[in-house]
Amino acid sequence: MSDTQEVDIIDQVVSQEYKYGFSTDIEMETAPMGLSEDIVRFISSKKNEPEWMLEWRLKAYRYWLTLEEPNWQNFDLKPINYQDIIYYAAPKEKIKLDSLDQVDPELLKTFEKLGISLSEQKRLSGVAVDAVFDSVSIATTFKDQLYEKGVIFCAISEALHEHPELVKKYIGSVVPYTDNYFSALNAAVFSDGSFVYIPKGVRCPMELSTYFRINAENTGQFERTLIIADDNSYVSYLEGCTAPMRDENQLHAAVVELIAMEKAEIKYSTVQNWYPGDKDGKGGIYNFVTKRGSCEGAHSKISWTQVETGSAITWKYPSCILKGDYSTGEFFSVAVTNNRQIADTGTKMIHIGKHTKSRIVSKGISAGKSHNSYRGLVKVNKRAENARNHTQCDSMLIGDRSGAHTFPYIEINNKTAQVEHEASTSKIGEDQIFYCNQRGIGTEEAVGLIVNGFCKEVLNQLPMEFAVEAQKLLAVSLEGSVG
Amino acid sequence: MLIENIKTAFTQYKDQAEVSGFSALREQAYHEFEKLGLPTTKNEEWKYTNLKVLANTNFESTCLSSGNVKAFLQNALLNKITANKLVFVNGTFNAELSEIIEKDNSIYITNLAKARSLHAEIFNQHFGKYANIENNALNSLNTALLSDGAFVYVPTNKTVEFPIFIVNIADSSDVNVLNQPRNLIIVEKSASVHLIEMYYSLGSNSVFTNVVNEIYANENSHVEHYKIQQQEGESYHNNFTQIFQEANTNVNHVTLTLDGTLVRNNLHFYLNGQNCNSLLYGLYMPHGNCLVDNHTRVDHAQPNCNSNELYKGIMMDKSVAVFNGKIMVHLDAQKTNAYQRNQNILLSDEATVNTKPQLEIFADDVKCTHGATIGQLDEEPMFYLRSRGIPEDVARKMLLNAFADDIAEKIKIPELVKLLEEEIEKKL
Repeated sequence: MSDTQEVDIIDQVVSQEYKYGFSTDIEMETAPMGLSEDIVRFISSKKNEPEWMLEWRLKAYRYWLTLEEPNWQNFDLKPINYQDIIYYAAPKEKIKLDSLDQVDPELLKTFEKLGISLSEQKRLSGVAVDAVFDSVSIATTFKDQLYEKGVIFCAISEALHEHPELVKKYIGSVVPYTDNYFSALNAAVFSDGSFVYIPKGVRCPMELSTYFRINAENTGQFERTLIIADDNSYVSYLEGCTAPMRDENQLHAAVVELIAMEKAEIKYSTVQNWYPGDKDGKGGIYNFVTKRGSCEGAHSKISWTQVETGSAITWKYPSCILKGDYSTGEFFSVAVTNNRQIADTGTKMIHIGKHTKSRIVSKGISAGKSHNSYRGLVKVNKRAENARNHTQCDSMLIGDRSGAHTFPYIEINNKTAQVEHEASTSKIGEDQIFYCNQRGIGTEEAVGLIVNGFCKEVLNQLPMEFAVEAQKLLAVSLEGSVG
Repeated sequence: MLIENIKTAFTQYKDQAEVSGFSALREQAYHEFEKLGLPTTKNEEWKYTNLKVLANTNFESTCLSSGNVKAFLQNALLNKITANKLVFVNGTFNAELSEIIEKDNSIYITNLAKARSLHAEIFNQHFGKYANIENNALNSLNTALLSDGAFVYVPTNKTVEFPIFIVNIADSSDVNVLNQPRNLIIVEKSASVHLIEMYYSLGSNSVFTNVVNEIYANENSHVEHYKIQQQEGESYHNNFTQIFQEANTNVNHVTLTLDGTLVRNNLHFYLNGQNCNSLLYGLYMPHGNCLVDNHTRVDHAQPNCNSNELYKGIMMDKSVAVFNGKIMVHLDAQKTNAYQRNQNILLSDEATVNTKPQLEIFADDVKCTHGATIGQLDEEPMFYLRSRGIPEDVARKMLLNAFADDIAEKIKIPELVKLLEEEIEKKL
């Protein structure tokens, strides 16, 4: 393939539009701009929260004030002005909704446009959705059906009223507000998010899903997800997100906590498609998320799958704390960056229990002038007998101005541990393209095939509905970008 | 306390020295050190290696040796092979024990202090040009207080027939000693040299050796460089080696860490021309409470270069091993092949391994892989040997020898291989 052709194709990719970039004109209720104790109180009172919750938020806020923004990351981050952000924005809709008919039709249209159906008639899709618009959970579908099984799936603000004991017990137990800068900020100002509880012995009958949308200007989104799987239960949870195109960088600092009891299994899948900014790196979402799961009981399992295609900067490390004996942690990731996007992502696997296993598969694809970093930690504690880890992180570079970086930390304190790490970096081989061309497959299609093959191990982990979406996303972000 | 010792040493030095360009460099280095202080574990590069214990010990930086170095060296490797020998005791050149057998007068094999006046032009052209002092406290410290070291200059088209043996002995018979050896090796176009850098210690007090090596390989040259750390007892060792390669050069490096309480090796390669080959091999066998930290960095600044790295470790007792391998492929360094592997065997429950194989890549047409493994001896080969009547301890040694052999086979001096085998035997 000639150089000019290559440049053409890269240009095409660069000019690829972000198709979720519209914004919805809807009446919003927002908090005043900026952050102070008053704002924390304001958010708490908006949610009618119990006193202990407000106390917790305030403690987190005061702790946050003592912290400094981290600076160890592998990219330049312009200091964020935390007073320039609106911490609470909600569609103006005061009455509690009983059914979807009462939801603002404008909102429903938005979700329709995003390809998420909130209408329960579409049972075929078989996915229960909790839609979070800016700061507030709009609607949760299939709630009643789930409730029959004893599954609690609702907005976290609702759970605070209906199941305060569960929330109080588990919130902050995996990601305490002292964990890091952004988790402290989130604990202080989080507005909503999803809450899931799967009782003992229940296999959740459908996929649960949350859809996040940032709509309002200058807002930050700070949601919090808490999933508890009790003994012998199973749940698969999906998360998707989009945002309108805006020139400013918007901050998204969420916290996700997973708790798996004995023999429970949680599968958490993310397809992240926040607005990545334009081709010069203007605008886009800062996606700084703390995600962590704790395998509390023996034989429990937590599996993270993520497809990261959006955001100006993605900075997150979904992690597993393997406390229970024989517990398993998995991390499957595809991160695609283009233009001036940055991804600094990876995982932490902390082996504490005996016979714990973890597996990491990370695939990074960088195109344009973007940079993609894998940063991971595998830690085997002294008492974690017979721990096992396998890590594989592969990078693919498209165009000679992109970068791929790996920072794997491996800390082993037990001789029975078996830890393997492999990594490779490559580009799409000319011979691979040639092979396809020879058989009548066009270059663009060939690239799609090869990238899909490169990511297959991860895409296979996604639930059906998301696998299709993720494959499409990959095709859109990388259409014919390699020569 | 170490900081105060260094301050006194530097003031003493300043009182004696005449003003020259060199002392200005020292002054600058000292200020850099003062500004930075000793690295702490907050520094990402020193995350797993704590120098706190050093800071609380008193060290003497200029002291004479009272031990019988000659007797000590009697049975050392040094006397078993034919080589050019440069011996330094507590940082001072020892002419009696040194011996230059190279007959070609155009090849300079001497000590740094002498070279500074005798070969001033070459010295000034290269000294301090490769090992950075900015933001590097220990390099600054070495530059500020360096006493002496080896100086080797191999002119164009020359080959040094026999290996050059650079021996550093730290004699702590009377006090805790602080040594700052500094070696400068210049290999001109199409020249070739074989270097062996060896560290011993004598006496029962603490030793802190802080080495800086600068090796410059001009076009088409070939360098073999082995570094062997055998300082026993309370010895702290920090080594910074910067190898600067021009086009079409081959550099093979082997680091053997056989002893030492705390050993930190910083091995940096900078590939400044096309078609370079760099090979980095290392073996470490810490025991007791020892800590071995290998930090390597290969900068692929130009296209079409190859680098291959293999570090292996056998961990005993409560020892700690740290490995941090960084490969930087710069913008436009296309067609780079860079491979890196770190393998560790844990023989004890209390040993710790922290490894971080790191890649930073800014070019797309490259082949880079890295890998790290940590585990125990394989059960299957063990079973195979046992089932053929070989006792467990013998079988274990055989397997560990085989594990170490990947590194041993890269060493081109049979006597050194033998020494390594003996060491493995002794340790297990």
